[in-house]
Amino acid sequence: MLRSRPALLDVIASWTDPFLSAPRVADSFPNKWAPEMLNITNLRRTFFAGTADEKVALDGLSLSLGKGEFGVIIGSNGAGKSTLLNAISGALQVDEGTITIADDDVTRMPVHDRARHVARVFQDPMKGTASGMTIAENMLLAELRTSKARLKPGLTRKRLDNYREQLSYLKLGLEDRMDTQVSLLSGGQRQSLSLVMAVIKEPDILLLDEHTAALDPRTANLVLNATLRAVSALKLTTLMVSHNMQHAVDYGNRILMLEAGKVKLDISGAEKEGVSVQSLTNHFAIKSDRMLLGA
Amino acid sequence: MNEVISTFIALIPVTLAQSLILSFVVLAIMIPFRILSFPDLTSEGAYPLGGAVCAIAMVSGVPAYLAIPLAVAAGFVAGCATALIHLRFKIHTLLAGILVTTMLYSVNLRILGKPNVPLFKETKLFDYLDLGKGMNNLEKILIVGLLMGVVGFGLRLWFMTERGIAMRAVGDNPDMAEAQGNNVDRAIFLGVGAAGGCAALSGSLMVQSQAFVDVNMGIGLLINALAALMIGETILGRRKISQQLLAPFVGSLIYYQLISFCLAAGLAPSDLKIATGIFVLVMLGAPILKGKRNTTRLAKESIRE
Repeated sequence: MLRSRPALLDVIASWTDPFLSAPRVADSFPNKWAPEMLNITNLRRTFFAGTADEKVALDGLSLSLGKGEFGVIIGSNGAGKSTLLNAISGALQVDEGTITIADDDVTRMPVHDRARHVARVFQDPMKGTASGMTIAENMLLAELRTSKARLKPGLTRKRLDNYREQLSYLKLGLEDRMDTQVSLLSGGQRQSLSLVMAVIKEPDILLLDEHTAALDPRTANLVLNATLRAVSALKLTTLMVSHNMQHAVDYGNRILMLEAGKVKLDISGAEKEGVSVQSLTNHFAIKSDRMLLGA
Repeated sequence: MNEVISTFIALIPVTLAQSLILSFVVLAIMIPFRILSFPDLTSEGAYPLGGAVCAIAMVSGVPAYLAIPLAVAAGFVAGCATALIHLRFKIHTLLAGILVTTMLYSVNLRILGKPNVPLFKETKLFDYLDLGKGMNNLEKILIVGLLMGVVGFGLRLWFMTERGIAMRAVGDNPDMAEAQGNNVDRAIFLGVGAAGGCAALSGSLMVQSQAFVDVNMGIGLLINALAALMIGETILGRRKISQQLLAPFVGSLIYYQLISFCLAAGLAPSDLKIATGIFVLVMLGAPILKGKRNTTRLAKESIRE
């Protein structure tokens, strides 16, 4: 499938443009002919097996995501959302089942090999960056995600110019602080940096793990908008975990509701257009005020 | 007082030579501790291991310039053993290092066959440079200084490469480094192994400098090296990688001069341990007592489990 890819610079430039509203990815997707990017079959994972604390986190979960699809995962606490993302990224080994990304069976692949397929932005801004290292060094690490680190000069002038330019479009002034330690940045700045780092080399699949939950509302909005623009412009295959039902209704072209380690509800296409927070909430066994309020 | 000063000055060359040799041990402490967040005690065993391997090789007729690489290789293996114990069995890094150091004591005795071996007849590395009579210390200073320059410059270059930067990320945030495609285990093997190699290099130079090897030569060395590192870091800071790499060398030079001054001032050698302890405490404690909040980071480093 040939699709003209917009230059990353243009994409980032549009992130913070106040006159453009958040794009609705659902307008152009799903594409019926899109090849499968992520395929998960019969995934099982039990914690503390054989003890009194036994907990089935993933209970034969199956899921597939087409290229360019944007799925929003919702579900109450303990439904298996984080376990699923950890299983995809490789941070957690599964007991059973298979995970295929871009036709590559990654089920038993270690995290560092899987990294060439997967980029992830965590809820905790501390997790996605190396805090004792500079902004420039972090950008380099992100650029090396899809390739092997070589015995060649790291921060070349060419690279630095490239990073500076890309960061300048965030309009956070990070481009003038290339030698600043990331630990000195605010949570929002760090999360914005994490996002640029995640998409600088377009991942086959982008995992967003409640990545705006730890930010104040204004910053959360900024980061979320930047995310949506990057995802839509680069047509990234994305899985976003959110506790905010409104997000699930507004963004993405697919809603995946998890419950007890299974996909309980999978809404896409025209059906998703008609979904409201109220209709989603009705699906929850236990109504959660927290989710309704979008906390 | 004049007598103290003149004794101190007379000691400067020999202390300088010693501190240059021992600066490699300080480097061996710094690399795992600061770069990889892997506090490691293997150096205390790798240092005499390097001495033992080098000495036995030289006694068996291997020339010094080949005996030293052999010692470094042995030290590298010792470092890798510590890394393996930590990574494979999830044993705390400090405990893994203590285990390896303890076991190395027996290994070192096996290698040497007896507690100490003299190296009088053998041609030492320092004998290749002949500046005439009475210039022994200068020869050592020049040769080890050159070696130090090469190692330091090499490390500086390494940490500017893609791989070097990736290695630092492993120490800074292992989960993130892994998620960015870096093999964390391999970086730890390489880093801790290299540290073992540095300690062994120091040991092999020391036995050639003092012309004998003793199986007990590493005991108590670690706290000296740590004190030297703290002094270097306090003076230079460690915000930049170049400062961090220079700190072991500068710290070692200053620390051993301080110790030498204590000796010149009449302190009994048996009292040096408490002096060293006080140095470390002052270096770590002074910034906190002064209330500088940023520098308190020095004291409470996160320790890798």
